[in-house]
Amino acid sequence: MSTITRILNRYKNRRTYNKKEFVDKIVRVIFMMSTILSASFIIIIIIFISLKGLTPFVTSNSGIGSVNIISFLTGNVWLTGTAFQSSLYSIGFIIVNTLFIAFLSLLISMPVGVLTALFIAKIASRRISEFLRIVVELLASIPSIVYGLFGSGVILIFVYNLAEAFGIQSRGGNSVLATVLVLALMTLPTITAISEVSIRSVNKDIEQGSLALGATRTQTNFKVILMSAKSGIFASAILGIGRALGEATAVSLVAGNSKSGPSLGVFDITSTLTSTMLEGLKETTGIDYDIRFSVGLVLMVVILLTNLILNYIKKKVGSIDVK
Amino acid sequence: MNSIFEIDNLNLHYDDFQALKDINIRIEKNKVTALIGPSGCGKSTFLRCLNRMNDLIDSCKITGEIEFKEENIYTSNYDVISLRTKVGMVFQKPNPFPMSIYDNVAYGPRCQGIKDKNILDEIVATSLKSSALYEEVRDRIKESALSLSGGQQQRLCIARAIAMEPEVILMDEPTSALDPIATLRIEELMNELKKKYTIIIVTHSMHQAARISDNTAFFLMGELIEFDKTNKIFTTPKNQKTEDYITGRFG
Amino acid sequence: MLNKRNIIDIIYQVITYLAASVGVIALSMIIFFVFSNGLKLLNFGLLVNDYHAEFYNGGIDDPIFTFSHRPISLDDKVFYSQKWGIGLVDSKDREGNPIIIIEYISGDSPLLEIYDKNNEESKEIIGIDKGFLVSKISYYDKNTSLTMYGAESMINDIESTNEIREIVFSSLGGGIRGSIITTLYLISITIIIALPIGISTAIYLNEFSSKNRLTSLLRSLIETLTGVPSIIFGLLGLAVFVPLTIRFSEATSANIVSGSLTLSVILLPIIIKSTEESLKVVPDSFRSASLALGANHTQTTLKVVLPSAFPGIMTGTLLAIGRIIGESAALIFAIGTAVKDDISIFGKSTTLSVHIWSLMKDEPANIELASTIAIVILLIVLTLNIIVKLISKRFIKEF
Repeated sequence: MSTITRILNRYKNRRTYNKKEFVDKIVRVIFMMSTILSASFIIIIIIFISLKGLTPFVTSNSGIGSVNIISFLTGNVWLTGTAFQSSLYSIGFIIVNTLFIAFLSLLISMPVGVLTALFIAKIASRRISEFLRIVVELLASIPSIVYGLFGSGVILIFVYNLAEAFGIQSRGGNSVLATVLVLALMTLPTITAISEVSIRSVNKDIEQGSLALGATRTQTNFKVILMSAKSGIFASAILGIGRALGEATAVSLVAGNSKSGPSLGVFDITSTLTSTMLEGLKETTGIDYDIRFSVGLVLMVVILLTNLILNYIKKKVGSIDVK
Repeated sequence: MNSIFEIDNLNLHYDDFQALKDINIRIEKNKVTALIGPSGCGKSTFLRCLNRMNDLIDSCKITGEIEFKEENIYTSNYDVISLRTKVGMVFQKPNPFPMSIYDNVAYGPRCQGIKDKNILDEIVATSLKSSALYEEVRDRIKESALSLSGGQQQRLCIARAIAMEPEVILMDEPTSALDPIATLRIEELMNELKKKYTIIIVTHSMHQAARISDNTAFFLMGELIEFDKTNKIFTTPKNQKTEDYITGRFG
Repeated sequence: MLNKRNIIDIIYQVITYLAASVGVIALSMIIFFVFSNGLKLLNFGLLVNDYHAEFYNGGIDDPIFTFSHRPISLDDKVFYSQKWGIGLVDSKDREGNPIIIIEYISGDSPLLEIYDKNNEESKEIIGIDKGFLVSKISYYDKNTSLTMYGAESMINDIESTNEIREIVFSSLGGGIRGSIITTLYLISITIIIALPIGISTAIYLNEFSSKNRLTSLLRSLIETLTGVPSIIFGLLGLAVFVPLTIRFSEATSANIVSGSLTLSVILLPIIIKSTEESLKVVPDSFRSASLALGANHTQTTLKVVLPSAFPGIMTGTLLAIGRIIGESAALIFAIGTAVKDDISIFGKSTTLSVHIWSLMKDEPANIELASTIAIVILLIVLTLNIIVKLISKRFIKEF
């Protein structure tokens, strides 16, 4: 028997079973703990924001009196009275503004994004598709603060001049329109990328079936392919609206931060739930601080409800599932 | 008969599907045993029972006894890891790890805690020599194993399996992904290896079974139809189904 | 012949082409805007200078004049005083206001003896140097020279005097060194926290977990995090991590560590997802081969599976770094908006992105400096994206 065989046999016949099993168990537990930690953050977020966000409604806010939840959700003036001395906050108009702006921005970015996706997937040559894909990826990777910078350096001026052409004096261009344009730009890459995937995965047979029936390429693209990809396109809209509702810094630089509303004219200054949260955060105690958590809580509820409603509609509308 | 595996009344279920039915077989030591049969007959599943690789499949339920060297391997406190160092395995497709040739062969010994560089060097060299790969790779032993050809990769996998000096080597269609020349080299290698190891091989090719094995087991629909000396199976099979299969009437 | 169908087709096509060009136009406009506004401020000094200018009131007693000659290398625009051995030049600061900068100071200039007047007893010497701003020089015998009269008049004034009562000068300021360092700290600390947790979570979900209700619950909880807007994470930081760091360290407000903790939560789903995806493409044959060689589950995972998944983990990390550099909304709450020069991990400071936000929120907004920072951010983020593309291309080739 060679030396090597003896050594190998010694190692093989060591009773390692219990030790190795034990190591496996320990490692498994460690990994599971970090998984539980990762999963717990969403719960921590919900608990803490709910706790903090509900505080202004249930406590007396050091003597100024509690915020009335009904008027908070329905009123049309952000704060009646002076900060830290009044509890008369309301964000009804801000909720309307937020949804209105998100809707308008999608009204622009959806057609542009879907058509871009169609162009990339079905019309353009390989090289142009590749180029456009890179453009879309770059647009997606630009941080939102840079969009905000671009918004206040270019879009504000454009909107200001546009308003002047209509004989309207806008406040430096800060307006519903500027916000909508910035958000439309920011949601464009998301919508394009996801729509493109769903357009590309439309079954070739359907396309050929349409062409064989004598439809032109363009007719096929618009009538058959877009219809077949509608479920994926709808999914892109859901993601897009999520981003539009939650975007904060870029919006805060172009919205103008109105204190009352709702702002429904395109050249009016406006405010969204997110821009309101960012506005003038100086103190770290008191009602003016706590109320931001209430706004955040409302934002989460708005996003959740929008998602639920849109997903429900998607189920009703979408027949062909795109994966 | 000097048997190394004794299998009694082995039944294996995947959820509702019974993959193996009442298998009884004795596997002889230092012989090549070939398992043949049409696809899905349970021969690979049977092979994987012998080193408990089926443990990885959640839905797999096993009853009956498999005794390796007179010890039932399917008891709850049996040392599976030690079993796998004694019953090595070579897979259908060559599957070297994306590491160097050296690290591939040294992987098993290292996992058992052998750290001494000299011992590892010797194990690697011996294993590569035994698998007839040493001359071809001695100059690039630190290069990635993925740079080898398919046949070389499979011989590396054999080297990796024999690095632990197992008693049994299980081979699951080891040549099905290789060209004829590489296949021939592996078969020659098996002839060398059977002097030292017990080999159990699943094969699709009846010619291969006839060429290399001492005993042959014929599986059909999860049942062991016939088990005998290879020359008997191929010349005077007792069972009609075996005869039909080896004469190519089905399968 | 153009029939109605053809005309409609052409209209549709034109609309499609127009839509497809919007993205290209937008991207070029953004890049053009940022570069045209920011490029003129972009220089090495900006990257290494302090943001806040340091002001000094300097005094000098009994100057010893050496009358060194004007160096020939000096530009014509520089006004030089032979008596004091100093060259001054007119310039503009980052807000566009006129300033006078010390362009040259000779090695034996009497001005090198200037001491800090605010500290009369110790008479500590201030190291006056090239690049400092001179805002005002006052004398015993005549009117004060001010920035508004220009460098030429200031040089004429000092050349004709032998005594200086007070000289007010300052360092340049406006640099972004502090924000760069904060961003680097933030990246390192966040990665140190998020990477181990993210990778072990991905390993658990892909390699160790059994398919049951608990696993799918954990998985969907983690996935929900991706849909949460970053400003909400900011609130999480404000409500949980800021108080936590204040409680357990010397921090008194939002700080780098609270920012890192917040960012870690944002990045977890990204890291988990990219790690899991790369674990999924590791062939099962590697796992069975390793187990068949007598390795246990842990050895198999750490020695075989994880190394094969390395490129994917790398990709996830780079994407995460890009996200850290670009993140603003969450950090406004979780790290604060105070631009600082002295950085400590439990102190106030801010990152490049938030720095842009503060500059834009100022009245009037400083678009030029903001654009310069944006150039820095864009260059880093775009480079990261290119590297990620290269890595994933190689990764796809391997399997």
